[in-house]
Amino acid sequence: MPGAGTDLCARFVDALPITGASIAVFDTTGHQSSVGSSDAIAARIDELQFELGEGPQWEAIRSTSPVCIPDVARDSHSRWPMFGTALQALDVGALFEIPLILSRVCVGAVGLYRRTPGSLAVSDLALAASISSLVSAAAVGRALASAGDNGPPETAASPAIRREVHQATGMILAQLETTAAVAHARLQAYAFSNGRTVHEVAHEVVSRQLNFRNLSE
Amino acid sequence: MSEPTRETKLSAAFVMLADTLIADYDVVDLLHSLVERCADILDTEAGGIMIVDTSGELQLVASTSEESSLVEIMQLNAGAGPCVQCFTTGLPVTVGDIENSGNDWPDFRREALRQGFHSVHATPMRLRGQVLGAMNLFSTTKGALNPEDIAVAQALADVATIGLLQERSIRESEVVAGQLQHALNSRILIEQAKGVLSENAGLTMSEAFTALRSYARDHNLTLRDVASGVVERSMDITARAPSRVRK
Repeated sequence: MPGAGTDLCARFVDALPITGASIAVFDTTGHQSSVGSSDAIAARIDELQFELGEGPQWEAIRSTSPVCIPDVARDSHSRWPMFGTALQALDVGALFEIPLILSRVCVGAVGLYRRTPGSLAVSDLALAASISSLVSAAAVGRALASAGDNGPPETAASPAIRREVHQATGMILAQLETTAAVAHARLQAYAFSNGRTVHEVAHEVVSRQLNFRNLSE
Repeated sequence: MSEPTRETKLSAAFVMLADTLIADYDVVDLLHSLVERCADILDTEAGGIMIVDTSGELQLVASTSEESSLVEIMQLNAGAGPCVQCFTTGLPVTVGDIENSGNDWPDFRREALRQGFHSVHATPMRLRGQVLGAMNLFSTTKGALNPEDIAVAQALADVATIGLLQERSIRESEVVAGQLQHALNSRILIEQAKGVLSENAGLTMSEAFTALRSYARDHNLTLRDVASGVVERSMDITARAPSRVRK
């Protein structure tokens, strides 16, 4: 089933020499809502950067300029070592992160990937930037809608705010009697060190198959 | 040394407006520059820009002088004068002879003449049917502006209008960014609080949400406040939750 933001991603895929796209909206404190992705790899690129808290997406938001990795296999990935390693395991040749701009305010990032390596022409980067300003208001609107009490269901293509991850964070913070920040970090660390996705682990916590109280430090 | 020609002044004014628009600009500074340049280029002695505020009133936002006399004349102009006529019709209004301009604006006419002004021209600040205000230029000599001058004033006002609208849309998008922050932050807190309640009281996520909402209603608090209290463990709502959840 297509996610709510798939149509917005299609605007980029149709117009640019890329394989897939994902759109995520961020607030100024780094809270994220993943609005949509065009395919599973685009969704994974977005998810990895959410899970690891590092990656070109974060750089694009901080700098409000595009961040390009024209050759994923050869790049040193020095600014995002964990994400770089994970990215190289995917079928991705090049990745371009474009800031999502509403008027002059940066409200998120668009990840554009291509299977084959190679730069994106300056004219294509400019086109990507103008598509980004065309879809930004709709992207923010959907993020606002999905954050509501009766928001549309979260799907793999548009995981939105990833409710289960935050529910699991709440459960872990109660289990360990700690803060939300520490609980979230423990969840991330457990997933990373076990080679699992944060979402998989969160699902086990919420369905009471995994309890962090029973884990040794 | 000769005075710069009008063409030179005009192109300098456009360059200035364009330069301002691509940098971070203050909209009041932009309008001040506009009215000063226009007054100079069109050989008028004074000018002021009135912009409609959120309550629909015209307010003086920029003028060639801050003297109270000019401010007063502008206010009269906005009550009943060429400025308000220009604003309501969206069309330029040229009064080449204030003294013989009929009886429509008695207060405005009297005050303008008392200050030595004999002609006035009002240029609408509009874009795609939306009128935001008007730029008013006063001269101590009689004579209507010729069509070329009217076109020059309108062209400069149009550039400034784009700047004005752009500034408004930036302000609106900042409001949206604030809403986004509030919405995402609240939702994350609520989901975390559901997790805490689910763990501590053995509730399902749906029951946990009902407990949060009931507590918020009963204590006249926002859902976000309760969620935040639960997550920070400064609020224990599970002790009372069972009796309140049932309903």
